[in-house]
Amino acid sequence: MNKLETDVIIIGGGATGAGIARDLSIRGLKCILIEKNDIASGTTGRNHGLLHSGARYAVKDHESARECIRENKILKKIASHCVEETGGLFVTLPEDDPAYHRNLIEGCKYAGIEAKEISIRKALAMEPNLNPNILSALVVPDGTIDPFRLSSANVLDAKERGAVILTHTRVNGIIKSGTVITGVECIDIKGNQTEIHGDLVINASGVWGQELCALAGIEIKMFPSKGSMLIIDYRINNIVVNRCRPPADGDIIVPGDTVSLIGTTSKEISYDKINELTVDDEEISVLLNDGEMLIPNVRHTRALRAYCGVRPLLAVSGETQGRNISRGIALLDHSERDGLDGMITIAGGKLMTYRLMAEKTADLACEKLGIKKECSTHLIPLPGSEKKISKKSRIKDFTGIPDSVVGSTLYRHGQRLHSIMTKDKKNYRVICECEMVTEGEIEYAIKKLEVKDLVDLRRRTRIGMGPCQGELCAYRASGLLQEFGGSAPDESVELLKDFLEERWKGMKPVLWGDGLREAEFTYWIYQGLFGISHMKEPKKIDNTKIDTIKEESPEENIKKEKNNKKIKRKLK
Amino acid sequence: MIYDCLIIGGGLAGLTCGIKCASHGLHTAIISGGMNSLHFSSGSIDIAGYNTKGEVIKKPFEYLKTMVKENSGHPYARTGIPGIKGSLNFITEKLSAEGITLSSNNDFNHFHITTLGTLKPTYLSQESVFSARVTDIVNSQQKIAILNFKGFRDYYPEQTAANLKKNTLFKDTEIVLGDISLPYYMNTEKNLHEFRSIDIARIFETERYLPRIAEEIKKASGGASAVSLPAFIGVNNYKAIRKKLEDMTGKFIYEIPSLPPSILGLRLDHALKNSFIKLGGEYIAGERVVSGSIKKDQVEFLTTKNSGNIPVTSKFYVLTTGSFFSGGLSAGFDSISEPLFGLKVKSENKRSKWYSRTFFDKKSHPFLGFGVEIDNKFNPVSESGKTIKNLFCAGSVLSGYNPVSEASGGGVAISTGFKCAERIIKEIKND
Repeated sequence: MNKLETDVIIIGGGATGAGIARDLSIRGLKCILIEKNDIASGTTGRNHGLLHSGARYAVKDHESARECIRENKILKKIASHCVEETGGLFVTLPEDDPAYHRNLIEGCKYAGIEAKEISIRKALAMEPNLNPNILSALVVPDGTIDPFRLSSANVLDAKERGAVILTHTRVNGIIKSGTVITGVECIDIKGNQTEIHGDLVINASGVWGQELCALAGIEIKMFPSKGSMLIIDYRINNIVVNRCRPPADGDIIVPGDTVSLIGTTSKEISYDKINELTVDDEEISVLLNDGEMLIPNVRHTRALRAYCGVRPLLAVSGETQGRNISRGIALLDHSERDGLDGMITIAGGKLMTYRLMAEKTADLACEKLGIKKECSTHLIPLPGSEKKISKKSRIKDFTGIPDSVVGSTLYRHGQRLHSIMTKDKKNYRVICECEMVTEGEIEYAIKKLEVKDLVDLRRRTRIGMGPCQGELCAYRASGLLQEFGGSAPDESVELLKDFLEERWKGMKPVLWGDGLREAEFTYWIYQGLFGISHMKEPKKIDNTKIDTIKEESPEENIKKEKNNKKIKRKLK
Repeated sequence: MIYDCLIIGGGLAGLTCGIKCASHGLHTAIISGGMNSLHFSSGSIDIAGYNTKGEVIKKPFEYLKTMVKENSGHPYARTGIPGIKGSLNFITEKLSAEGITLSSNNDFNHFHITTLGTLKPTYLSQESVFSARVTDIVNSQQKIAILNFKGFRDYYPEQTAANLKKNTLFKDTEIVLGDISLPYYMNTEKNLHEFRSIDIARIFETERYLPRIAEEIKKASGGASAVSLPAFIGVNNYKAIRKKLEDMTGKFIYEIPSLPPSILGLRLDHALKNSFIKLGGEYIAGERVVSGSIKKDQVEFLTTKNSGNIPVTSKFYVLTTGSFFSGGLSAGFDSISEPLFGLKVKSENKRSKWYSRTFFDKKSHPFLGFGVEIDNKFNPVSESGKTIKNLFCAGSVLSGYNPVSEASGGGVAISTGFKCAERIIKEIKND
């Protein structure tokens, strides 16, 4: 078994975990981030990517609204390459209560959100696909944010500052010494086991945090709530369109990259179902029907895929301290709550407040470790967002390369464009025509952005996210993955199969019209032409087994204390 | 203009039907969008590759003898086994006249190597894919070289080799991997949009490049006497190109079909089109039938995109529009239809019953078996339940078979297309 030592162990590679890793790394602490799947593969990557202005909460939840608008302004600065400042509209439909419009204006005013009423005519000029029968329209500073890019940029920054990132690695044991948690045991996808010791374990694993706490003998209770979304091919709106009514199913259409998204349904589910969620036909109908009310041509647009996420709402009943930071964010200090030192849990919240959650968590971590360092994540731009690249320098540096190619890379990686589009001409070869992903971008992602498989690669580059859902580029990407050392050749074919199965999950709920045509073609290629299912099946490694709690010897305890002092000295 | 036979769809089924009709002197036209499934096929003709359990079929016609008895809704049950054999002979002859030799392993299926290095059973292949020489090379486990064109992103020899080595047939075969390139052509490497099999096929079709290519092959193949390349050694005149390269290198050259466009398929497509046109057939490309008018039990006329208000009429019509991808079938929110004539379709009404849980499910997907229902005369039934007597259907627009999981697409297309032609020829004779 490998052994690693660090200051802080962070479990969970969602936006929050990534944000904590970055925050602590900036403050000078050594961190190891462990994620059982991929960065942003859980709840973080399964929402509609709305950069909330806070208006959605302005009527009922002022605190959330205030948090949102504050973070909204920060993210526009520090994560400019992950954000699109599209603006947002709140429109009242004939079916809606017109009074809500007034309440919303007041709520926004109270929360400090700039909301401006505009004429219907103007709203229709701004967003021509909008339902022409709207009764009123309000402009708010909503935007869009790409959760994959955001998390990846946080991880990249943490890594460049010395953090260690272990993706596709599952924590399967907690190491305890008396009432002190001193580390974790984990296992990677190949079955390699690692023991990691640290001074503090941060549980940032969202809805899966319940399982993790259980490993440590701590009881917390999640109330998982499933949210489903529908992606339509084509960006049918350029401004976020919200329905002006109390939050309900199917009340928002968010543009994102090359597509638009209809969100969201909400359904409580039992905890044992969180790993096997599927979008059902009924939810598709609800999203299409409600989406159509906001933008009528939704019905005539091809549905690309549907997906769902699970919100990590923490149950607070029976707790004395509960949501001690805000109503949305729950930060649990297990030494106070459960008499167990060395571990804290962060849960609740939303993508929008990931940085704030990370800040609060890092503050508590520093307090526990006796370190006096202030948070600065709201001031330091993420990698890629340092400086905008001017049109002039873009033309100068990339003469002869189509702007669509340069533009797409810039859009996804911001200033890191220069690390991707080097003079080597192979870096310009387009591999995914839908999303204009080049060979150079793929190489960069495989070598720099913690890509272990093709699904990870999709999250970093958008490969296979376009209209064809990876029909031809999936194969090309699998070939490049093995070429750039990301996997062995036979493994890369297995990963190709996994990738196509993953794409299928989102395609089946919307398998009509052109979606079915596309699926048939893809099936012809990979099954008919390539005979992919006739491959010899490899042995799968089961890394889901859970170890019991491991007790540490007194010597190790002493070592740990020494180590603790070392950090404090170092940071002085 | 009144045709004897008007074929809607220019794929393998439509072309077979058209060639057969035209060869009997019928005034025949094919209306085609331009591309067809040959453009993304392996270029081999499958008859029956797998049984219902997914096991490889060794002798397809023997298997079909029992299959057609048990499965009366299968298109093969309507064409009959002699019908399949007759149609294959017919098409093989026509292709041979156009310079394409298809060979079979007597009554047995043979394997072709896929891009991923799996082996797929098929029945008829071009000589660069199957011949006695290939069998000899495989059986004697001679050293082989799997090569690629440098910068070609639609093929990765490492993957082919890795999976091939897992197969007992190739377990002890020494495999060399390598690239070939042409310095004066490498500027296209930077080509941002297209550097596909067809672009490379054009390089091979340029005679002055061949000596250099031969040098490159020799250099990269590390002494192997057999060399595989992705299928791109020319669309037209590929036989002569291959022969020249084999002579120059002294090596056997094998082709592996890669991502579309399929050069092996394009060769068949071009040859069949030529054959049809030479027989006096009218091949109308880039045209689309918009609707068909049915009166009682007859198709009255068609409207096409380019004909505007002028109806297009024929004595007989053949529907070979393919399945969903090519638009022969259309999937609505919760129903499947045939969009041109509104023919009766065999399908499931609940969307969740159209597909399987996993994409590469052992049972494949029900939607691949959906399609138009026909009677034993190959006539379909209209929505109102009337058999349409001057309309025939062939190819993957038909229900009752799964072309992918059975590996039967080519055989069904050819045999049903041929059968429709025979029906029409007979009807016209009787007139």
